[in-house]
Amino acid sequence: MEVKEPDLAFNNYSYADYLSWTMDEMVEIIKGKVFKMSPAPKKIHQKISWNLSREIGVYLKNKKCQAFSAPFDVRLPIKSKKNEDIFTVVQPDICIICDLDKLDDAGCIGAPDLIIEILSKGNNKKELKNKYEVYEESGVKEYWIIHPEEQTLLINKLVDGKYVPSRLLTTGDEITTPILPEFVLNLNDVFDKLD
Amino acid sequence: MEVKEPDLAFNNYSYSDYLSWTMDEMVEVIKGKVFKMTAPKRIHQEISWKISLEIGNHLIGKKCKAYSAPFDVRLPVKSRRNEEIFTVVQPDICIICDLDKLDDAGCIGAPDLIIEILSKGNNKKELKNKYEVYEESGVKEYWIIHPEEQTLIINKLVAGKYVSSRLLTTGDDVTTLILPGFVLNLTNVFDNLD
Repeated sequence: MEVKEPDLAFNNYSYADYLSWTMDEMVEIIKGKVFKMSPAPKKIHQKISWNLSREIGVYLKNKKCQAFSAPFDVRLPIKSKKNEDIFTVVQPDICIICDLDKLDDAGCIGAPDLIIEILSKGNNKKELKNKYEVYEESGVKEYWIIHPEEQTLLINKLVDGKYVPSRLLTTGDEITTPILPEFVLNLNDVFDKLD
Repeated sequence: MEVKEPDLAFNNYSYSDYLSWTMDEMVEVIKGKVFKMTAPKRIHQEISWKISLEIGNHLIGKKCKAYSAPFDVRLPVKSRRNEEIFTVVQPDICIICDLDKLDDAGCIGAPDLIIEILSKGNNKKELKNKYEVYEESGVKEYWIIHPEEQTLIINKLVAGKYVSSRLLTTGDDVTTLILPGFVLNLTNVFDNLD
């Protein structure tokens, strides 16, 4: 069978195209353009993702909102929800969805309430410009960005449709969010046992 | 000769104590408490060098001056007497436009702009302790760089409080009111680091 894969220079791919690709590599589509996912994430990245998922998972037991970690497709439609009219499909490291009507067998359609991306070493333009833009536009209420090597967290909160960044948070800080009432995330637990 | 060095548990050291210490290790004093400095990694120094070059080129023929670590910045609260100054830091890069703040020992009073390049691991000192004293003492802009993930965040003093920018990265051009006409291309800063 011929492997069907996207042209990286083309910028009008839809979710329907995405579903047709047969290569092994994972990609995301942001506003019709294909972005390769970096090769397998580093250990430190996965350790932080695991620590976060554990803390959030324990909190969410018996609560309404649901959390997912990558690989998990999040489609961000602009107007129509038809596969061929959706031009952004991303795989956030962690996302939390409180409106369960957004969940279907393929993943999530519409903006999650909270998205966490853990940066990798090197160029993070995709997370900091492209995803920042679509998360803001599509109404993701909070976009958390983690620098794993330097152990920091920045929280972008949607205020009147625009993200307002927090200061850089780090070990010793305790994080709360209106999305998860009474949840307290101690960053010492997130950045624990990284070596 | 006996080596005179500070007690890390004590929290009321002044600049005159700092001057009396004779150990080789470098330290900073923030609100009377001693913080050890770590030897920076190569990537840290490479970024520091590139930014210094860009700023240095811009500053030729201009009034403001730039310094890179080690360079003592004393942040007095009220009195400028050595024994009444409880914060002495060594920022990675600082820019001072009020030259009256410069003396033989370094800078006394808030620089206009400070750049800190984080290291791997715990960065509490830069993100809490220094953030606080820079804000309180009136450093107009506090830039923080994550070298591994190649990002810059700019904290600007607005009505006495820092307001953060979004995270900037390669592809972004950075300007500042402190250096009119200066443009820092982050692609140049983070290019060829390996």
